[in-house]
Amino acid sequence: MTGGSLLAQAVAAIKPLGLNYAFLLDLGERQAFLRGLVVTFELCLLTIPCSLAAGVAMAAALTSGRGWLALPARAFVEVTRNTPTLVQLYCAFLVLNMLITRQLEGVGGNPLTPFVWVVIVVAIHKGAFHAEALRAGIEAVPQVTLEAARSLGFSQRQLLWRVELPLAVRFALPSLVNNLVDLVKMTAVASAIAVGDVTYESIMIWTQRDNVLELLLLILLYFGLLTWLVSLAGRWLEGRLRMPGYGQ
Amino acid sequence: MANEAAVSAIDVRAAPMPASASASASRFDPRRHPWLAALAATLAVVGIWIATGTTPVALVFLWQWTPALLRGLLTNIEISVLAMALGTLAGLVVGALSLSPLRALRVVTRWYVQLFRNAPVLVLIYFTTYVFPFELRLAAWTVPFPDWIKVVAGLALPTSAVVAEIFRGAIQSIPSAQWEAAQSLAFRRGEIFRLIVLPQCLRRMLPPWMNLYASITMSTALASLVGAHDVVDTAQIASNTVARTDFTVLVYFTLLGVFFAYCYPIARATRALERRHARH
Repeated sequence: MTGGSLLAQAVAAIKPLGLNYAFLLDLGERQAFLRGLVVTFELCLLTIPCSLAAGVAMAAALTSGRGWLALPARAFVEVTRNTPTLVQLYCAFLVLNMLITRQLEGVGGNPLTPFVWVVIVVAIHKGAFHAEALRAGIEAVPQVTLEAARSLGFSQRQLLWRVELPLAVRFALPSLVNNLVDLVKMTAVASAIAVGDVTYESIMIWTQRDNVLELLLLILLYFGLLTWLVSLAGRWLEGRLRMPGYGQ
Repeated sequence: MANEAAVSAIDVRAAPMPASASASASRFDPRRHPWLAALAATLAVVGIWIATGTTPVALVFLWQWTPALLRGLLTNIEISVLAMALGTLAGLVVGALSLSPLRALRVVTRWYVQLFRNAPVLVLIYFTTYVFPFELRLAAWTVPFPDWIKVVAGLALPTSAVVAEIFRGAIQSIPSAQWEAAQSLAFRRGEIFRLIVLPQCLRRMLPPWMNLYASITMSTALASLVGAHDVVDTAQIASNTVARTDFTVLVYFTLLGVFFAYCYPIARATRALERRHARH
């Protein structure tokens, strides 16, 4: 009970500033908002590793040197990078999802939820950006290093996993972190297909209470926190993975 | 030597038969002109469809909806151009202020840039849409404030923050030795900025600025979520009106194609510019 009264005091204390956070005192709305925070966090947590995996796969295809693999990968990356995420989400959720639902009508329905589609679309969208960053990183690996590894008997696959990627990740780390910050911001698009993320829950609350500014401040604060965490992790990784002889 | 011999041999052989030589020179090679070849193939297919009356129904509907979709696209382009213009103007001011010798000004601009760079564009669009009034009252007049103008404002905010960063980065990328050298040649501060620093900055700012324009254009798709009648909104209306599975598939992938057709050339031009600058 003391927690509740503390919250009530805090809300009352902020009210003179013109900010009405009364929705926090309503159990249902508070829980909806907290659920939204959790869903956004889950989205980020799931999408970040998926996008990195997609990026590595696409970068491997781009730099494989095999035309039948590299050319479709290049086309895919270009289309993904140069079209809006929202339209991609619609193409996936409204079109592919509909077709899949039609096909699986007889056999137990469609297992893919809107949440899963957001993870897939955002992961692939940002994966294309990761792939470009990694490709630049792979191309920055000195030719001499590759020749040395080849002369030590590394196979093409070992070369990629043990020599090129570890170096490429270090070269590409700043732009990868940049992409991940973008990814966190991009999860807000989930509200377009009614996944209950923080943006969506806020819209639900402010259509009832007309407290847009108050909720927006909270959303911006939350996204600020998430992006700050990502860039913090990025900086820590940059320190951990620093190579002698590069940078400062 | 060998080449010359070969060429002269062809000349000699071709000389008596100029007709065949000109025919081979003007022969259409589809690998040389992929766009022309694709256009010709499309025209041929459409011609056959019209002649035999077997055009797929979804395509007939798409053709009917094309004017509406193009009008929607025009809205997107208007929003993107206006947001870019406003954002660039504001961004140049903010960028200049962030280099000011006054510490307070630098801190304020720093916060402004951080806030609007780290905020999701969609959230900013919701912000401007729901916080701004539906109409403005200026003395006796009431000026309507339509949704698409609010989207322009919502997109101009992140644009100004990014332009400010681009501008600041460009100015700081000019070696300070150039300032000193120009000072020793008795240029005044304003002159150095106008005649020496700014021209180099503009050249450096152009590629990231074009990138930003492409990304803002893609963000205009979000306008459909706050009730502006853009191309995405039009496609949704078309899909619901026609209510055919094949048309829905077609119209959404057309949407993808339309945005790609608009943004990809910008991306290509940006890369070409970057390559050209990398050489200098």
